[in-house]
Amino acid sequence: MRRLTVQRVLALTAAALVAVTPVVVRTQASAAEMSEGALCDTDTNQTFSLTARDGYISTPDGNSIYMWSYSSSKRGFQLPGPTLCVESGRPVTVILHNTLPEATSIVFPGQLGVKANGNPAQPQFDSGGSLTSLVQSAPATDGSVTYTFTAGSPGSYLYETGTDVDKQLQMGLYGALVVRPAGHPNQVNDRPDSAFANGKEYVYLLSEVDPDVHLAVERNQPVDVNSSKSRYFMINGRSMPDTLAPNNAPWLPGQPYGALVHIKPYDAVTNPLPATIHYLNAGSVNYPFHPHGSDERVINRDGHALQGPSGQDLSYLKYDLDVGPGQTLDVLMDWRDVEHWNATTNPIPTQIPAITDQLLVGPDTWFSESGYLGTKNAVPSNLTQNNECGEYYHIAHSHALEQATNYGAAFGGMMTVFRIDPPAGCVSQ
Amino acid sequence: MTDNSVSRGPTRRSFLTGTAAAAGVVLGGRLLTTSTVMAAPGRTAVVAKSSAAVTHPVKQVHLAGTDGWVGMPGDAPPDPPFFPDPLAPSPFNTYVFGFRDVTGMTSNLVAAQRGKAQISAPMMAFDEDDDIYLTLTNLGLAQRPDLFDGHTLHWHGFVNAIPLFDGVPELSLAVPIGRDLTYFYRPHDAGTYMYHCHFEDVEHVQMGMTGMVFVRPAQNRTPLHAGERYAYNDGDGSTAYDREFAFMITELWSAAHYRDAHIQVNDWTDYDPSFWLLNGRAYPDTTAPNGDPLSTAAGRLQYQPISSLIRCNAGDRVLLRMSNLGYQNHELTVDNIDLTVIAKDASLLKGRDGTTNYLTTNAVEVGPGESRDAIFVAPGPGEYLLYDRKYSYLDNGGGAGYGGMMTKIVVGAPGTYPAQTAANV
Repeated sequence: MRRLTVQRVLALTAAALVAVTPVVVRTQASAAEMSEGALCDTDTNQTFSLTARDGYISTPDGNSIYMWSYSSSKRGFQLPGPTLCVESGRPVTVILHNTLPEATSIVFPGQLGVKANGNPAQPQFDSGGSLTSLVQSAPATDGSVTYTFTAGSPGSYLYETGTDVDKQLQMGLYGALVVRPAGHPNQVNDRPDSAFANGKEYVYLLSEVDPDVHLAVERNQPVDVNSSKSRYFMINGRSMPDTLAPNNAPWLPGQPYGALVHIKPYDAVTNPLPATIHYLNAGSVNYPFHPHGSDERVINRDGHALQGPSGQDLSYLKYDLDVGPGQTLDVLMDWRDVEHWNATTNPIPTQIPAITDQLLVGPDTWFSESGYLGTKNAVPSNLTQNNECGEYYHIAHSHALEQATNYGAAFGGMMTVFRIDPPAGCVSQ
Repeated sequence: MTDNSVSRGPTRRSFLTGTAAAAGVVLGGRLLTTSTVMAAPGRTAVVAKSSAAVTHPVKQVHLAGTDGWVGMPGDAPPDPPFFPDPLAPSPFNTYVFGFRDVTGMTSNLVAAQRGKAQISAPMMAFDEDDDIYLTLTNLGLAQRPDLFDGHTLHWHGFVNAIPLFDGVPELSLAVPIGRDLTYFYRPHDAGTYMYHCHFEDVEHVQMGMTGMVFVRPAQNRTPLHAGERYAYNDGDGSTAYDREFAFMITELWSAAHYRDAHIQVNDWTDYDPSFWLLNGRAYPDTTAPNGDPLSTAAGRLQYQPISSLIRCNAGDRVLLRMSNLGYQNHELTVDNIDLTVIAKDASLLKGRDGTTNYLTTNAVEVGPGESRDAIFVAPGPGEYLLYDRKYSYLDNGGGAGYGGMMTKIVVGAPGTYPAQTAANV
């Protein structure tokens, strides 16, 4: 059934804004600069000051949602919390300041020996023996607490609230922690076969929003999390098509992280290494994430390499990453030009119909009007052509398809796009 | 970047006319065993791959997308106004969209299938390195002439796909009503996949445009033991099987189907299914025989032609191919039989260094968009159940008794059932 969907200017201009200079790890130090790929907060002492605060996010259908989230104490509100990138085996300090109207805290699932204010991190009980928090918290309004631990096994982890968890997690108190193998910042884990291409690292922090809960919290009304029904499904705090916008897009001030994968075809000589994606589920249900156009190799689960006791490779390929609540998966992915279609020497053996027989969807298209990578044909002037130079686009989305919507409207929600450029890149870049 | 003056090889029309005589075999819309034809003149049929030459047999399939009516179990309790749908012609009760296999049909017969969709879609089986020409015709929606929905074919899981043949209309193109489009696939990776329409995917997938497709391995051409067939290129015979059965796992939300028939809009985030299906049928329909959508013999199940009944002989190695195009996780289990999961998502469970990582279990979880291949060795003669361990999915529309995602495994004494000629027979 055709129905109106939100048409927002798709952020393909992002491509033109990407820095050409290769960098191993982009850091938030160059804040406000638009970019692609994982955007890390790093610190030479691995000490991070986070503030739990409130703010608003926008959704592609025009809604504005009241959120609670962690942010760097040096910056304003953002969703999700900052991606903290640390090195395995070194101490990490996270100081949490709380400006929220109730106590909050951070648990670090997968990290061992966590301390809070120097004491072992422990569940908290009131005088009657009732559990009040999974871990020591920062008191309401202006409290703080300091957590310390030694960064564990290389891989990706959630960090998330341990207080009033049903409500506070729904409100947005979560972030990603990426632990890098010591001395090998371009590997996912300690195995050499986990190496990924320079700058081709992506964090997909998956979550959901029930706007009724958020409205109730904003209005200081009672919250019934048990009757909650999520309507928005997000990657890095954004829903499609906002997921395609670059990092730090100024029109999404509280949602700084994009989710556009941007690669070139595998080549044994010029592009031998895959990209890596860190999938983290900060929600309450499975998110079965289906990337089109390519399998992905799962090499880590919950921060541990998939290997046997003698280092046997137990990784596996998937075309759907069914990430469970609280789980993380680290994958390697590439796209290979298997058939080497060439209009002259190896033509695609079918004919593209005339454009009047194509039924393109919407007033714009990403299709190059060609099957050949690097070939772009003309479209009628009533269509906006987003395609830059004949690059390929594949979508990647939750296959629990109600999650691939913005409050029920299709081609939204937990969805993004993988862009594959011709081997030589786009001329405009 | 290349400019737009390139030639595109033979035209679609010349291709279709040049091979029109070599049509595939229609097997009652249940399983497509496509015919092999010689490569059309002027097209390279042998391509160098590694050091050895690989041949590419040409397979042709013609599918049509349209709407229609099917029958959920008749004793399911009414759910007014959604179920049974008051618009449904007897003996049916549920509005669907779906694909039909129209390979080899005359154009008049193809056009006559408008409004006669089936669920699940025709099962398709190919060999590695086949050259597959799959023509999709959009017949439109008989019940909803107000809509101008396109259709597409998305081969879910096809590795290293190009957008032109990936079926996502927002990133390439769709087939408008009254038109057709030929997709080309040359699969290099054996395994269990699925296909579905990706036009307004949340709706068209739920409405029934979902089916199984699987690719048989090159290892079948050079078997380790004469006559053996394999699920994957395993190198050690560990995926050999005697019989195979494939299961398209979906749910059916009656309210959404009703709203589509009655020109109403659906909020998909309210998703709340009524029926849980294997190959488009709920138990006990799952155990009814295979049918033919061109025949009225099966009554209410005319447009649900695919049986899920598993019949085998004691000692047979039985391959189960399971793909989930519902929106919920499912956990298929069998009592008294061990299942060995050999592959997930069309990838053999072996590491890059060859380490085998199969899983022996009694319960196989399959998430939305995922597939699993599992093999069991048939025990002694008797009846066994294959069912979703999520017991709340074992009823029909909330009614009493057993229903939903369940079927039977019937094991006979050795020699009871002849060699299998196709999947799900």
